[in-house]
Amino acid sequence: MKKWRYVIKRLIRTIPIVIGVTLVTFLILHLTPGDPVRIMLGPYATAENMAALRAQYGLDQPLPMQYMTWIANITRGDLGTSIRYNRPVTELVKDRIGITLTLTLSGLFISVTLGSLLGILAALKQNSWVDYLCTFQAMFWISIPGFWLAIIFLYIFGLQLRWVPIAGLTGFVSIILPALTIGLQEEAWFARPMRAEMLGVLNEGYIKAARAKGVRYYKVVGKHALRNVMVPMITMLALRLPWVIAGSVVVEVVFAWGGMGSLLVNSVLARDYPVVQGALLIIALSVVAANLLADLVYSLIDPRIRVEGGKK
Amino acid sequence: MSEELRKEIANLKQKKTGQMYLTWLRFKRNRLSVIGLSFVVVVIFIAIFAPFLTPYEPFDTNPFRRLEGPSREHLLGTDELGRDLLTRLLYGSRIALQVGILIVLFEGFIGISFGLLAGYFGGWVDEIIMRLVDILRSFPVIILAMAIAGIMGQGLFNVVLAIGLVGWTTYARMVRGKILSIKESDYVEAAFATGESTVSVILRYILPNVLPTAIIMVCIMMPTALIASATLSFLGVGVQPPLPCWGSIAAAGRDYITRAPWISTTAGIFIMFTVLGFNFIGDGLRDAFDPTSKRN
Amino acid sequence: MEELLKIENLQVSFSTEEGPVEALDGVELTIRQGTFHGLIGETGCGKSVTGQAILGLLDNNARIRGGRILYREKDLLKLSSRQMGRTIRGKEIAMIFQDPGSSLNPLFTIKNQIEEAICMFRKVPREKREGLILEALKQVKLPDAENLMYRYPHQLSGGMKQRVMIAMMLACRPQLLIADEPTTALDVSIQAQFIKVLKELKDNLNLTILYITHDLAVISELCDYVSVMYAGRIVEDLSMRDLFKNPRHPYTTKLVNSVLGANTTLDQLEEIPGSVPRLINPPKGCRFHPRCEEAIAVCNREVPLLKEVKADHSVACHRR
Repeated sequence: MKKWRYVIKRLIRTIPIVIGVTLVTFLILHLTPGDPVRIMLGPYATAENMAALRAQYGLDQPLPMQYMTWIANITRGDLGTSIRYNRPVTELVKDRIGITLTLTLSGLFISVTLGSLLGILAALKQNSWVDYLCTFQAMFWISIPGFWLAIIFLYIFGLQLRWVPIAGLTGFVSIILPALTIGLQEEAWFARPMRAEMLGVLNEGYIKAARAKGVRYYKVVGKHALRNVMVPMITMLALRLPWVIAGSVVVEVVFAWGGMGSLLVNSVLARDYPVVQGALLIIALSVVAANLLADLVYSLIDPRIRVEGGKK
Repeated sequence: MSEELRKEIANLKQKKTGQMYLTWLRFKRNRLSVIGLSFVVVVIFIAIFAPFLTPYEPFDTNPFRRLEGPSREHLLGTDELGRDLLTRLLYGSRIALQVGILIVLFEGFIGISFGLLAGYFGGWVDEIIMRLVDILRSFPVIILAMAIAGIMGQGLFNVVLAIGLVGWTTYARMVRGKILSIKESDYVEAAFATGESTVSVILRYILPNVLPTAIIMVCIMMPTALIASATLSFLGVGVQPPLPCWGSIAAAGRDYITRAPWISTTAGIFIMFTVLGFNFIGDGLRDAFDPTSKRN
Repeated sequence: MEELLKIENLQVSFSTEEGPVEALDGVELTIRQGTFHGLIGETGCGKSVTGQAILGLLDNNARIRGGRILYREKDLLKLSSRQMGRTIRGKEIAMIFQDPGSSLNPLFTIKNQIEEAICMFRKVPREKREGLILEALKQVKLPDAENLMYRYPHQLSGGMKQRVMIAMMLACRPQLLIADEPTTALDVSIQAQFIKVLKELKDNLNLTILYITHDLAVISELCDYVSVMYAGRIVEDLSMRDLFKNPRHPYTTKLVNSVLGANTTLDQLEEIPGSVPRLINPPKGCRFHPRCEEAIAVCNREVPLLKEVKADHSVACHRR
């Protein structure tokens, strides 16, 4: 009973965020200094074309109306039509979302596991060489721009050494390099917080109490410490997800994979605003959904959250 | 107030200024932060004295000497338009630093203001601002900034605006958190209990405690700002060629990666050098201001 | 009576930013089987450190400089951490800590955590486990044990949590239980309940306890023997009766006289001038001498050793 109350509370909290996200996505378009229609069609647009486009996109309506229409369309699954390809945005996205999803998830996986492992080990062997290595490599990786790492990796491992195929998503092996590019960069953002959290947990009373009970050290760590460290781990995950997505977009561009990321970038450059709006919306909503999921998982792990029904 | 009490308070006030000095000492002790500081100093130096460090101009094209490798004449070779790469990279530091600082200041202004409001007033002001933060954080910063910059049009200023409009959330949260913890601390409660005015409390207790956080944040946000602006330039948004921005140099270099790998590589190294410097400093500052937090 | 645990000349120091701190400087303690032995002293005198040292649960920056801890003729200090975990902790010697709130893992049920203790050293088939847990909970007089098992720590009050801790440690069936200030964080009324439970356990199970506290009143209710600790050393070791009738060390006397009794008047209350020394730079010789009215020249030079003045009564003082 109480668990459901938390779930519902959490869902209700999500609503204003979703609305806000749609608002932001919608309003961005209108940031253009000039006439969006003219920009979309380019300098050779005729008055008729512009009028037609305006009517088609309802751009002659007052702003709130436009927003409402847009929302109504979205709920029906219509994200608009691409100007460049003249195809529904949803179709374009559907074709490419698989690649982006694969990249994001594999990058996330590598970063979480690698980062957590390093962080936890560093905490367990505080001030040892493992600890210093962890901190140092973390600082190293966060100082590298993602696109540069991607270029370097592409060059060395893909072109020069030819260890991995690079042309596209052709199988498991082809993911390794891009996933590593994203993952190595991101794990640095996990390693140090995880280390700090683990140190904090290891200092808690229940760890000492468990040892006083006679629980073996490795079980103390594996059962008690790990479980308590999972909550901040999930927090980190939800926090870094937007960055991992950004990372996968960059990687898509560098490796020239045809995913949603490159679609988005190309559409921005080509002024294909409906696609930009649609892709942005999907990305943002995914992040919101992921955050919701994270909060729900919390309530499974930490019994205190179920009762309070609120964020810590 | 008794004489003893007066003396104690004077003593404490002295300690406060001594605190800054102590912090500086701790900072100096940390080898990495000193190294970081030297990196940044080098970059600033390059930015200021770029014209004196190279005989070339960053915009001088030379179609007969395109994509040359490193040589005695061109220490890092030339790019796809025949321009001396080293020169462009050196001048690039100006853009990088300018953009970085502007972004950090802009973000900082918005973020700290919002953080202050949210932390101090609480209630529905806090709620609204936090919802705004949640909404913005649902978008990957670079992606939203790219969209905004792309739509607003080319130009460095738009890059700053775009990143700044999106990236202030981290500032806001940090400042809000710090203020909340100060607000609830015992000494503030005591100050209010002894009848101090709100303004006095803000000036004497809240601001001095938030200041270190703000300073640290500038150093910590600089790397993200640098990488974000470089990434945006790399993606083709914002910086107009032929401006020598490190990110766009790397982007141009990518097309010639097999023929002239040094272009993208060196551009990235410059970025990394600068970012590493700020990261070391930021880390060192964090430790210096609060040595109890991270290690041990 | 048989000696269960004997600490000989234990020396422990901590390495801190300001230098090494000699937390324990030659602690001597003997715990007899089947008794409640109190270890009393002010905050910072090293009593918790003593308790933790027995089980090898000291912090990472602690160094054991010397001494022996004999448990049934075995020197615990010679055992590795692994051996301690395997043979001593939980099995022979168990410990409960000051803050019950933080001694229980908030993410696991009570049942889960007691089960852990039960199954640590013996194989208990699943069907029997619940019964044993219920028995342990009932032993400490916890109400509604059947439902309590499935609760989480944050759903219990402080007093209940502390009783769960006893239940958990008892489930291990240890020979010696070390209680490190178990009631300091509890209300007085809960304290009374807790003490009552302990007394019953003493009668029913022939339990041996090392009870560490700064509260004389609690010790007077529970303990048979008392060791008085000051600034890292044991200054007096005596039976309960002697503590109130015949304390011999100046510090002990002052301690006893500074406790409020039902009939004490304000001018009868004594206070000890000065304050506890910082152990980064302890006084030379007897560590209490700066605050002692009876101090003489030798007190500043030589460390007084614990000498037996009569049966079951030892004092560390140059003037006794």
